Amino acid sequence: MSEKTYVGKNVPKLDAREKACGQAVYAADLQLPGMLYGKIVRCWDHAHARVLKLDLSDAAKVPGVVKVLAPKDVTQKNYNTGVLDLMVPEEMGQLLGDIEDQRIFTDHVRHQGDAICGIIAESEEIAEIAAGKVKVLYEPLPVYLSAEESARPDAFQFDERKPGNRAFQLPEQMFPGNAYGWGDVDVEMAKADLVVEETFYLPKVKQCQMEPHAYVAHYDQTGRLNCWTSTQMPKCVQPKLARLFELPISRVNLISTTIGGGFGGRLGMVFEPETCAMALAVPGRPVKVQSTREEDWIASESRHPGKYWIKLGVKKDGTPVAVDAHFTSNAGAYFSHSSGVPFTTGGWLTGMYKYGAIRYKGDTYYTNQAPSGAFRGYGNPQTNFALEQIVDRACTELNIDPVEWRKKWHKGVGDDGWCIGVPYSSCALDECLERGAEAIGWKEKRARYANQSGSKRRGVGVGVMTHTSGAMPMLLEHTTCTVKMNEDASVVITLSCSDLGQGSHTVLKQIAADTLGMPMDEIHILVNMDAAGFDIGSHASRTTYVGGGAVIKACEDVKRQLIERAAIRLGVPEEDLEIKDRQVFAKHDRDKRLSVMEICHTGVYNFTNPENGETNGVPGQITGYASHFPGHNSPPFGACFAEVEVDIETGEVKVIELVIAHDIGRAINPMAVEGQLQGGAHQALGMTLTEETCYTEAGLCRNNSFTDYKMLGPTDMPKMTTILVEQPDPIAPFGMKSVGEAGPVNPVGATANAISHALGIMFTEAPITPERILQALSEQKVA
Amino acid sequence: MKTKIMTLCVNGRDHRFEAPVNRTLLQALRDDLKLTETKYGCGTGECGGCTVLMDGKESICSCLTLAVEAEGRHITTVGGMTRDGELHPIQIAFIEEGAIQCGYCTPGMIMKTASILANNPHPSEDEIREGLEGNICRCTGYEKIVLAVQRASQMLDNSQIQKSGGMGQ
Ligand code: FES
Ligand code: FES
Repeated sequence: MSEKTYVGKNVPKLDAREKACGQAVYAADLQLPGMLYGKIVRCWDHAHARVLKLDLSDAAKVPGVVKVLAPKDVTQKNYNTGVLDLMVPEEMGQLLGDIEDQRIFTDHVRHQGDAICGIIAESEEIAEIAAGKVKVLYEPLPVYLSAEESARPDAFQFDERKPGNRAFQLPEQMFPGNAYGWGDVDVEMAKADLVVEETFYLPKVKQCQMEPHAYVAHYDQTGRLNCWTSTQMPKCVQPKLARLFELPISRVNLISTTIGGGFGGRLGMVFEPETCAMALAVPGRPVKVQSTREEDWIASESRHPGKYWIKLGVKKDGTPVAVDAHFTSNAGAYFSHSSGVPFTTGGWLTGMYKYGAIRYKGDTYYTNQAPSGAFRGYGNPQTNFALEQIVDRACTELNIDPVEWRKKWHKGVGDDGWCIGVPYSSCALDECLERGAEAIGWKEKRARYANQSGSKRRGVGVGVMTHTSGAMPMLLEHTTCTVKMNEDASVVITLSCSDLGQGSHTVLKQIAADTLGMPMDEIHILVNMDAAGFDIGSHASRTTYVGGGAVIKACEDVKRQLIERAAIRLGVPEEDLEIKDRQVFAKHDRDKRLSVMEICHTGVYNFTNPENGETNGVPGQITGYASHFPGHNSPPFGACFAEVEVDIETGEVKVIELVIAHDIGRAINPMAVEGQLQGGAHQALGMTLTEETCYTEAGLCRNNSFTDYKMLGPTDMPKMTTILVEQPDPIAPFGMKSVGEAGPVNPVGATANAISHALGIMFTEAPITPERILQALSEQKVA
Repeated sequence: MKTKIMTLCVNGRDHRFEAPVNRTLLQALRDDLKLTETKYGCGTGECGGCTVLMDGKESICSCLTLAVEAEGRHITTVGGMTRDGELHPIQIAFIEEGAIQCGYCTPGMIMKTASILANNPHPSEDEIREGLEGNICRCTGYEKIVLAVQRASQMLDNSQIQKSGGMGQ
C-alpha cells in the first residue's frame, strides 16, 4: 500500500523514548490506592533445615502489620515455577514424573533464601521490622552442594518421588539407554586415530537482570486476581496461577509491566505465587512485593552449573568418528527446569557437527544451592565451553586449522538440527567463518602468536554455534494475533508476546507495517492479557520468528477480507485485485479502485437504505486473526572470533577484540540484532572469565552482590565487530532467523580457545580466573 | 524512628515532606515524592541505577545519599532532562544509537552521561568507558551506550544547552 518499507531498517525501539524519559513503568514503580506491602520472610542462616517452630506472634503485634501468613495460611498445593508441564504433550509430561515440588511457604528449607512465611503491612519499613521479629527454630539437615555429594547412597533424600536425589535423566522410553544421538559410539570410537577426553566444569551464573524481581497483586471486589508482573511468559503464568489458586483463567488477570531484563530469569513464575497468596489474604487491597538484590540472588534461579564430560574420537584427517558425552548438572533445590536444560544441552551438541556416532547423556541432581533454571542460551553456553575446546584440542594435536576443521565438519542444509528428524533449512556458517576470520586477521595472527615470549601473550580463538528459532517440535509453539482495522484504516494489533527489551514489539510492528503496507505510526500494538489470545512466551529465541509468523498471517487475513469486499463493490474477481498505496486496484484497469479506508469505514458505519434494503458496502468491522503453529525452527548459526592478551605474571586476561558473525537469515532490525549480539557477548565473557555464584561449606551464598560477583564493566569489554550474514532462510517469515539466545553462546568457546592459543594450556574450569591461570602456569613450569 | 520535615529541590521544584531522618535520597524520590524514574538496582552503590545529578555536574548514587544531605542542593533526575517536552540531546542519542534495551539502567546511565559531559565535553572513548564504570548494564554490552555518549557529545557541541552552563537544570 505505501511505498515505505520498514523491514531491514534500524527503527528505534517503540518504547525507547519513554524509557529515556524515565516514564516506563516497572512493577516496583506502581502505586495503587490502598496498597499494602508484602515481605517474604526467608531463611538466611541455613541452606538445609527443618522448621521445628515458627512463632509469628511478635511480628503480628507490630503496629501497621495487617496480616502474617504461616505455611498453613496459604494454599497447600505444590507447584513448579517452570512451565515445561504446559509445553509438552501429556505423554511426555508423564515421563517427567511429578515435578511440582515447591510450596509458597515451606517448613523444609532446601536452600538459603527459601520462603518460610509472609508479612503484609501498611509500609515496606513496617513489614521489614515485623520480619525481624519472626522467631524460627530450625533443625539443621545435611547440606549438599554438588551432584556427587547428593547422589551418594546414604544421602538425605530430598523427594521420595526422585530416588537417589536424581531430579531427572533422559527417560529410557524416549531415549533408549538414557542417551540421545545416533550410531554405535563404542564401535565408531574404536576406529579413531586420536581420542581426546576431558571433564569440564561450568559455573553457577546469575542472570543479573538489572530490575530486581517485583510484583503487585490485587484480589479485587469482582473476585478477580490481578497480578502485575514482568514475566516473560504471561500466558503460561496465567493458567499456572489459576491452577494453583483454583480459579478459572478468566478470573486471573495478568498485567505485563515493563521488563527490566529477562535473560530467562523471568521464564515461568518467580515470586508471583507468594505475592498472589498475600493478595488473596487481604481481598480488596493491592499488595506489592519488592525483592532486594540479595534476595533476588539467593532465591531466584540461575544457569545450570555442572560437570561436562566429553570424549571425541577423530581420524588423522580430522574426521569426527564419534562423540561420547555426559552432562551432570546441579538442579539446586527444586526441579524447575531440570528436564529441559539437560536435554537441550545435548541437542546443541548433536546439532553442531557431522559425527559418525554420538551418545549424549544428561541428568540433574538436587542440591542445596538456589534452584537452577532458564538462562539465555539454555544449555548452549555450557556445551560451547566443552565442545569448542575439545575440538580445538583435537585440531592442535592433528595440526589442523580450527577454522578449516569447522568449515568441513559443521552440519548444514539437510542435516538434522538439534532435534533429530528436523533438518536444517538454511546455513550460512561458512560465510560467517570466512568473513569473521578475515575481519580478525585469523591466519596472520594465528601464525604470529604461535611462538611468543615476554609476560604478555596474545592468542586468537574461534567458536561456532547453532541454536533455534522457537522450540518446535520439542515444545509447544503457538502464538495468536488479532489485527483490528479501525474505521479510518489505522490498525490495532493485539497479542501477548513479551518484549524483554530486545525490541520484539518494534520488530513485530515493522513486520506488520510491511505486510499491510501501512506506516508504522498508524499501527498500535496492544498487549493485554484479557484481550489477547495465547502465546507460549518470550523464550527459546522465538518471538520474532513465531510471533512474526502470527502477525503476518493475521495481516494476510485482513488483506484477504479487503480484497473480498472490494471484489463485490468493484465487480472484479478477487484474483484480479491487488492492494497498493492503501488502495485496492483492479490489476488490469487502474481506474477501478477502492480505498482501504473506505472499505474499513463502510464496514463500521454501515447503513441500510430503507427504500431498497441495500447497504452501502459490506457491513462488519474488519478483523484479522491468526492462531499460528510454525512448521519449523529455522536454526541460526554463528561464528565468533576472539583475540585475548594474557598477562602471565598476574594471570589477567584482557579480551582485545571480538568479531561476531551471525547467520541471521534476514535482519528485520539490524541495530537490534547487533544489540543482542553485543549484550550476549557481555554475558558470555562473564561466564568465561569472571562470573560465578559461590557458596560456603554450609551452603550460604558468598557473593550475592555486584561487588563480590564480578561482571565485566565498560572498560573490560573489548572492541566488538558484528557481522550480520544475510542469506534468507527459505521457509522463515521474511527469511529471518533468531539471535537473542545465540548471543551468549559462542564467545564462550572462542575466548576459551583464544586463551589456550595464547598459553598452550586448555582450561577446563570456568570462569578462567587469574588464580586458575597462575595455578596452571605454575603446574606447567613444574611439568 | 525520628522524623523530620525536609525540603528537596528536584528538577527545579521544591518538595516538602516528612520522613524518617535515615531516609535515603532514593527512597525519598521514589516513595515520598513519587518520582519513580530513578531506579533501585542494589541499594548499596554497586549498580548505578539510582544515579542522579547534584548541582548540575556531580553524579551520585542516590541510594548512598541521605535525603537530609541533599537538602539545599539541586537534584536532577532523568525526569528533569526534557525541556518543554523536547528531549535532551543525551536522550536523543541514547534512543537513536540503540543504547536502550530493557531501559532499567537508562535513567542512571543518562544522568551519568550528563555528569561525564558536564565535566569533560569531549571525552575520548577510554574516558567515556572509565566514566561509565559503576553503572551496570546487563543488556547492551556497553557498546551502543559508548556510541550514544560520543554522539551526545557531538550534539551538545552545537547546542545552546552547554553554553547556559550545566545540564538538565
Ligand atoms: S541502587 Fe544505588 S547503586 Fe544500585
Ligand atoms: S538496557 Fe537493560 S540494563 Fe541496560
